[in-house]
Amino acid sequence: MVSSPDRPSSRLRIVVARRVVLGALTLWAAVTIAFFALRLTAGDPTASLLSQGLATAQQAEALRRALGLDRPLVAQYVAYVAGAVRGDLGRSLYTQRPVTTVIAEQSGSTLRLATAGLVTAAVFGTMLGVLAGWGGTSLLGRAAGALAGIATAVPVAVTGVVILWVATWAGGLSPPLLVLTRGSNLTLPALTLGLASSGALARVIQSGLEDNLRSTYLLAARARGVGHGLRLMWHAFRPALPSAISFLALETALLLSGTVVTETVFARPGLGRLLVSSILAGDFPVVQGLVLLAATIYTSTHILADAVSAFADPRLRAAG
Amino acid sequence: MKTRLRRASLTLVLGATLAACAPPRGPTTITYGLTLSPTGIDPHLNASAELGIPLSSVYDTLVVQDPATGEILPHLAQSWDVSPDGRTYTFHLRDGVTFHDGTTFDAADVVANLEYTVDPDNHSQKAIFMLGPFEHAEAPDPRTVVIHLSEPFPPLLDSLAQVYLGIASPEALQTWGPAEYPFHQVGTGPYRFVEYVPNDHLTLERNPDYAWPPPIAVNRTAAVERIVFRFYVDPATRALALENGEADILGEIPPLDAARLDALPGFTLLPVPIPGQPTQFLFNVERAPTDDPNVRRALIQAVDRRAAVRTVFGEFSPVAEAPLSSNMWAFSDAAPFPAFDVRSAEAALEAAGWSTGDDGVRRKGSEVLSLRIVTPTWGSHPEVAQLLEAAWEAIGAQVEVEVAAGFGLLREARDRGEYHLIGLNFFGTDPDVLRPMFASDRLYNWSNVSDPELDRLLERAATTAVSQDERKRLYAEAALRIRDQSLILPIRDYVNLVVVSDRVDGLHFTYQGWFPLLIDLRPGSGSS
Repeated sequence: MVSSPDRPSSRLRIVVARRVVLGALTLWAAVTIAFFALRLTAGDPTASLLSQGLATAQQAEALRRALGLDRPLVAQYVAYVAGAVRGDLGRSLYTQRPVTTVIAEQSGSTLRLATAGLVTAAVFGTMLGVLAGWGGTSLLGRAAGALAGIATAVPVAVTGVVILWVATWAGGLSPPLLVLTRGSNLTLPALTLGLASSGALARVIQSGLEDNLRSTYLLAARARGVGHGLRLMWHAFRPALPSAISFLALETALLLSGTVVTETVFARPGLGRLLVSSILAGDFPVVQGLVLLAATIYTSTHILADAVSAFADPRLRAAG
Repeated sequence: MKTRLRRASLTLVLGATLAACAPPRGPTTITYGLTLSPTGIDPHLNASAELGIPLSSVYDTLVVQDPATGEILPHLAQSWDVSPDGRTYTFHLRDGVTFHDGTTFDAADVVANLEYTVDPDNHSQKAIFMLGPFEHAEAPDPRTVVIHLSEPFPPLLDSLAQVYLGIASPEALQTWGPAEYPFHQVGTGPYRFVEYVPNDHLTLERNPDYAWPPPIAVNRTAAVERIVFRFYVDPATRALALENGEADILGEIPPLDAARLDALPGFTLLPVPIPGQPTQFLFNVERAPTDDPNVRRALIQAVDRRAAVRTVFGEFSPVAEAPLSSNMWAFSDAAPFPAFDVRSAEAALEAAGWSTGDDGVRRKGSEVLSLRIVTPTWGSHPEVAQLLEAAWEAIGAQVEVEVAAGFGLLREARDRGEYHLIGLNFFGTDPDVLRPMFASDRLYNWSNVSDPELDRLLERAATTAVSQDERKRLYAEAALRIRDQSLILPIRDYVNLVVVSDRVDGLHFTYQGWFPLLIDLRPGSGSS
């Protein structure tokens, strides 16, 4: 790492502090929007609670009162925010369990899946991106570019079922392979999730490489005698790195949405499944908790990515 | 290398010897696939039908139902008396029953369970309503329970046969409380609750002490050691889970997959009828043009329901001809809905003043014959709605379909009122399942019907001391009125397509339809 002339660390600190304040505001906005949007668009949550049709109108009203849903919306909102600040996100309407518990017990599985998916995406995406960017119009380069395009275009639901189908078919030929199809096995879900993100990452790296390969500083480097091999590639690759890193950070947040489908297809527990079932069931407190969690992950990964990028590319430090 | 090889061959020999001595044994663990993640799994408090698939074998109920006829049979209660005014039920309980935690079952436990269910702080979503006009319960002696109602409620025995009113250990209820009890459930049934990891799995283990099977079971004690329930929410992956051996039993298999698996060696298809209302659309009788009964009747006639059912549900579902499914004791075949007849439909529309213009669209004056269908995402309603759209556009209507994801949004579409048809049906073993939808003052009167005679029939059948024969007559009359006013467009009797691998044998279901008698499962010929 090259050290830069003026004092970068204090500037960096200011940048990060500004981002943190913005992040906190983002969280508050997310909580507020989620709170009102859910109630205004999805209606009365007791409708879903009582979807069996057995209750009379009076009984339905009694349940609303018992759950505190008869209070004015603003009063409910103030109580919710006050609780959230203390770390109390309320209780599930269906099970009366604390939302924090409900979310915590599903996070481990999603974290494992997202991490494995991110690693898969980083490996495949970098490979494809470098091949496509470096290979240019050669057959290899075009093939890599096409693969990246396919990986982006095909929805996770389709990739997942196809991968599961292929594994089931392969397992019919060679039974030991069946272990891959078991719910606890992470290989196929990670592959499904990783492939989807790798395409977009490959594009980012490819275009970064192509731009840099055309740039004047690379021409200068070549003029200085830096050969065409790996050294030149590193010269071109390094400036492409920050955008790849911020992209990966963005992708971490997007991976969470990818897990929704992946978890469903591979019958895995996790936050994605929890989100879908809670939305469909109208379990507002759980949905709000998940929105808050997603917003937290999103803002914190961005802050982190900005910091890391600043280290990877000294130009960004000066640009502040 | 050498040692390892020797050890391996020793294991082989040992294994072979052991296998020769022991009788052939099947899998001691089977996997049962569930098709949705229940929102909560306490039968006393939650409403999901899915929860009963495992838990109806963890709990015993006071009475059970004959799987074929729905007749009430003894279980934890060996006999019972109903007072002539229909407001007092006295149950005489079986002796020698113990909970999985070792405590002994007696009448006070039944009282404690009922009180837990109706406690307003526990927010019961289903069981409390199944108790109807429940007032209180008492245990005059350890073998007798008396339930007092504020008014007669003939569906009560049916309710008491459901897992939602299964008997839990009051000690466990008290120890854990409503939030944690679901993870530590204790009953008296043939299977013990082991663990539940939401969205992942639920495990049951055989109760070796079980010696009080219901009269509807074949086995006295369960034969399969362990049953693991996993959740296959995505319909596209269910057949795969059976094929790759991850699951042994799975329900709600899409019709095409079900037919394909049935043709494969190693799998059997069990179409299981589910009692309650058929897959159906309710007509909104307050909104033009469906406020005209002749228009509603014409619209029913314009739909080839037989072809629609075959297209969407395959060969397995019967075409629905009544507001109650044909496997219920209260079903009456006296009032089939109008058969497919486009010509009569068009003639009826003409007679009602809706004539076709040059553009092929029917109008009455300047008003266009336009229909708006609201459909939920589940139960293949959207696919059916598409066929309705085609059938009605063919006779000159303009049709719009709105799909509502989730019950909250369906309810919201209902509250806006801008629909002519809305898809909704309830499952249930007692014909009182009709009242929430067709009694004028009830929450799910989404057709907006207001027929004092229909109200009277439904009220009388469920809130007065009447015999089952009389109830049957009342429901037949109600069905006739629902048909004559064309309040619904019935599509098909709900059938759960269950596929079971030959690793498992003995699968059969209760009258309720969704719930298997796990006690009778045994390793099948395909197990190794």
